[in-house]
Amino acid sequence: MLVSYNWLKDFIKLDQDPNDLAEKITRTGVEVAEVKHPEDGLKKLVVGHIIDCEPISGTHLNLTHVDVGEKELYQIVCGAPNVAAGEDVVVALPGARIADNVKIKKTKLRGNESNGMICGLQEIGFPDKLVPEKYTNGIYVFPHDAEIKPGDSAFELLGMDDYIFDFDITPNRADTLSMEGSAYEVGAITDVPVKVEGVVVKEDGPNWTNDFTVDVDSQLAPKFYLRKISNVKIGDSPLWLQRRLWNAGIRPINNVVDVTNYIMLLTGQPMHSYDARAFKTHKLVVRKANKEEKLTLLNNKEVDLDPNDIVITNGEDVVMMAGVMGGLNSEIESDTTDVLLESAIFDPTLIRKAALRHANRTEASSRYEKGVNWDATTRALDMAALLLRNDASGTINEGVITGSSVKRKSTKITTTISYINKVLGTEVSSSEIAAIFARLNFKIEINGDNLIVDVPARRWDIAIPADLVEEVGRLYGYDNIKSTQPILAETHGGYSKKEETIRRIKNVVQGQGLIEAISYSLTSLEKAIGFSKEPKKPVEVQMPLNSNRSTLRQNLMTGLVDAASYNMARKQNQLAIFEQGRVYDFENNNYNEHEHLAALYSGNVYFENWQNDNEKIDFFYVKGQLTNLFSALGINLNDVEYRAEVIMYMHPTRTAGIYIKNKYVGMIGMLDRPVTQSNKAMKDSEIYGYELNLDDIIPLILNPQTTAQSAPKFPAVERDLSILVDKDVTNQAVEDIIKANGGKYLYNLRIIDVYRGSHIAEDKKSFAYRLTFLNENDTLTDEIVNKAMNSIDASLEKQLKVEIR
Amino acid sequence: MDLFDRLKELREKGLVEINKAKNEEMLNDVRVKLTGRKSELTEILHSMKDIDPSDRREVGQRVNKLRDLFNSKLDDAKTEIVEALVEEQLNKEKIDVTLPGREMHLGAKHPINIILDDLEKYFIGMGYEVVQGPEIETDHYCFEMMNLPKDHPARDMQETFYIDSDNLLRSQTSGDQARVLEKHDFAKGPLKMVGPGKVYRRDDDDATHSHQFMQMEGLVVDKNITMGDLKGTLELMAKHIFGQDRETRLRPSYFPFTEPSVEMDVSCFNCNGKGCSICKYTGWIEVLGAGMVHPNVIENAGIDSNVYGGFAFGVGLDRFAILKYGIDDIRDFYTNDVRFLEQFSREER
Ligand SMILES: [Zn+2]
Repeated sequence: MLVSYNWLKDFIKLDQDPNDLAEKITRTGVEVAEVKHPEDGLKKLVVGHIIDCEPISGTHLNLTHVDVGEKELYQIVCGAPNVAAGEDVVVALPGARIADNVKIKKTKLRGNESNGMICGLQEIGFPDKLVPEKYTNGIYVFPHDAEIKPGDSAFELLGMDDYIFDFDITPNRADTLSMEGSAYEVGAITDVPVKVEGVVVKEDGPNWTNDFTVDVDSQLAPKFYLRKISNVKIGDSPLWLQRRLWNAGIRPINNVVDVTNYIMLLTGQPMHSYDARAFKTHKLVVRKANKEEKLTLLNNKEVDLDPNDIVITNGEDVVMMAGVMGGLNSEIESDTTDVLLESAIFDPTLIRKAALRHANRTEASSRYEKGVNWDATTRALDMAALLLRNDASGTINEGVITGSSVKRKSTKITTTISYINKVLGTEVSSSEIAAIFARLNFKIEINGDNLIVDVPARRWDIAIPADLVEEVGRLYGYDNIKSTQPILAETHGGYSKKEETIRRIKNVVQGQGLIEAISYSLTSLEKAIGFSKEPKKPVEVQMPLNSNRSTLRQNLMTGLVDAASYNMARKQNQLAIFEQGRVYDFENNNYNEHEHLAALYSGNVYFENWQNDNEKIDFFYVKGQLTNLFSALGINLNDVEYRAEVIMYMHPTRTAGIYIKNKYVGMIGMLDRPVTQSNKAMKDSEIYGYELNLDDIIPLILNPQTTAQSAPKFPAVERDLSILVDKDVTNQAVEDIIKANGGKYLYNLRIIDVYRGSHIAEDKKSFAYRLTFLNENDTLTDEIVNKAMNSIDASLEKQLKVEIR
Repeated sequence: MDLFDRLKELREKGLVEINKAKNEEMLNDVRVKLTGRKSELTEILHSMKDIDPSDRREVGQRVNKLRDLFNSKLDDAKTEIVEALVEEQLNKEKIDVTLPGREMHLGAKHPINIILDDLEKYFIGMGYEVVQGPEIETDHYCFEMMNLPKDHPARDMQETFYIDSDNLLRSQTSGDQARVLEKHDFAKGPLKMVGPGKVYRRDDDDATHSHQFMQMEGLVVDKNITMGDLKGTLELMAKHIFGQDRETRLRPSYFPFTEPSVEMDVSCFNCNGKGCSICKYTGWIEVLGAGMVHPNVIENAGIDSNVYGGFAFGVGLDRFAILKYGIDDIRDFYTNDVRFLEQFSREER
């Protein structure tokens, strides 16, 4: 809502600096997003009266002589098509400054001296949408009846000397969507009494009510009033009214439509005017639309009406989408003489939905949906009728037709002074509270601690005691409330065990040099279900923003791959990034969320260096990092197993499922070639990563802290074992046998060499292991170790047909 | 030859040989040759019985003196040789210490999580519990329980991703409030919680909008919580995050789940309140929304609003990070450009 400072002065005495006032309003009531002073940056714009105007032959220009209130006439060359002798116009004198910081100087055009410029409204800073249609392609011409004389400042006449407050209202403060409501608010804030005028109409036309029937569904329109104004002469509105519309951001149209807009701005009550010719049926019906009904709106948009739209009909045809916008078929036209004026209240929800449904929000619909003042309906109707008589020489027919008139129960709230103080943490006295409600124009009764407040209908947002607390609090001043800390029984704050563990995990990974990423949870369906061993039923949103953001991810890897692609396209090829976050699925008739961890690596272990240490990140580097992570978390590495596995988007022979105690907890591997090759930035890169389901891992590491053990006191014995096996035998298979047969003193097992090549048969490979034996209570004898080694050798030979070397 | 001349000659030759020895090995040979069991000196000593008794004493003294001399010269020579060796070794091992080291990746926390962790730790220190709620939330908890019945106009303010008619991607973390309120046993003490997490809105992504961002909800409920408590709590938090010399102010606002509702501004840290483009020449920057918990929210959770009340606040973590680090495009948080993210490896505190 744009609120004019000058218009506010109709209701309240204001002598403060407008910018200071705006600040005060922001602090106490409604946020003023901006204060505009249209004449800022402009100068020397005056009214000029065109004495004569002759075309300059061979051009589209005219040579004019203009009275600007000085002794001499000004000769001005003007190219506007609508320039004419006898008109009052806006003249930018030599030395003037107009919009876009343009300076006007004396010039010569086609050999004719030109001492200034005759201006269109756009040229002096009016936005296109506010310029009356007939002046959009030319200069502005003042209305003939305007009381102006040459040399007058154009700023005052066009309202450019005003200060315009942009009220950024919250949905509850619809009362400030009117000048009267804004005046009440500003009056309360500045503690100045507010004067809102009543209205008395003297009807001067015949009674029309017997000749017209109105049929209103009061569920749809609890209040509905109609007046008829005859003999109107359509023309321009007077300048004062146009000025107020401009500063409220509304384009003047004609003296009938302008009046309805003006009354809406004044009272907050949306009004509508119909050409009475649309009601040859002498009948008006308010109902829900039928299926298949259509209406062409005033903005030429043809809409298919919905059975939940409220419409106004003449008994046969729809003439308006109620509360939203009129139909072209009942529009006020230049030859309109009789006008039906409507002032009504419609169901807010239905109006909101209709405006949303047809993407046709209007000044009227936005007021209806937020709530209008039920006490202003007939007053608004009468004021509009009076203005139509003044501005359009209309005759006000006798009688108002009431289609519906549901009474609204007044809002009386009972509370206590002590409650208000208790919530605010203040000690505001009852007399201070009484003064605050007096400023708000709320009637109250105070009886000891008890307080009864009669809330005016314009403040529909106030219904319960807490709402009164807000009124008292903001007017008392939030600055005046003392800052305190809650005095409460002690509480033990903290993270949940799960959260704490996640933090530990993240700290380890970050310590391994990975940078934390956060990706979007929404991705494409395809990406959402990739990188999973067994994709679950995906969760898709209704009405996604686009197909790339339609489905909730079931893996984090896809986000990291997107990040890799983004970075590699920017020549950032050395990557070590991770993400910790949730994945989502629908399973067992439930929406599920799981905490995951994923990491992605590419490039070299070290940054480029002069020693040419270019060790490449590979599967085993990443696996080592993961092993370190497991160790840091206290997971028993003997419980961890890697099984070659095929996973969508992962390299079929370089990917493993990760199992802990035989439960699948995640995967590790290289991105599949088709994934990298299809992406220009990632082409030919080997990218590795892993993803873990933390929901499965966290329970394994939530064990109580283990007690520390002292370092071994007895020496360990090391033995190396070198074997030749079939090339398809896995390390895991060998290790399993060694561990099963190594006896209780086998303390550590490590593979120290893998060889395939020219020195051995093509279908063979050699493994070398280092075994460490330790007895924590005694020195080991060779005999015991030899026995263990013999047992291992025998089992390997038997079970895997290995050759001990 | 006269024995004394022999000793003299032996002395001269011996010293020359010691000088000639270039390494420890040679020196050892010389030592054996000059002072060993088969050396001339030893031989002379062994042949003392053949010497004139009147000379014996003198010869003995001279031999011992010469042995002492040889030993001391040999020791000196050995020290010299060892020192030279060490020096040679050190010269060989010399490196250019000005050459750069081999660097590996340095980990970094995401800037939003830096802010979040900081806030969480701050509130944990004040006795708040950190609560995690579901991101796939029900309409019931996200809206209805928070005093946003269906058809409430404020639902337009936050366009929501619905999954089906009952489930949605939460557009606010407020649902955590409702869940915690319902479960809390006030017999065991007051309720103090913060609930951080991702939220989603149907906004097209641009420099100032993101369809996904992070919020943190705060809630304190007990019997005597006041708006002064809210003000004090928010002031301390703002100073913690934005600096002790920041001023704050509360302005009226509107949220369906609080009444009264306020927004908090912090004095502009760029211009210190004088007015600049960051604060749109107001001197103030809006940082969060808050208010006293709406009685309907309390009642919806089955709690008597005549007895219990409290305050709630909601922090936009992206916004905090944007303000704190002077970031001008919210998308920077989610494109994961490592050149952007690695700056924060030093930002941990
Ligand atoms: Zn500033």
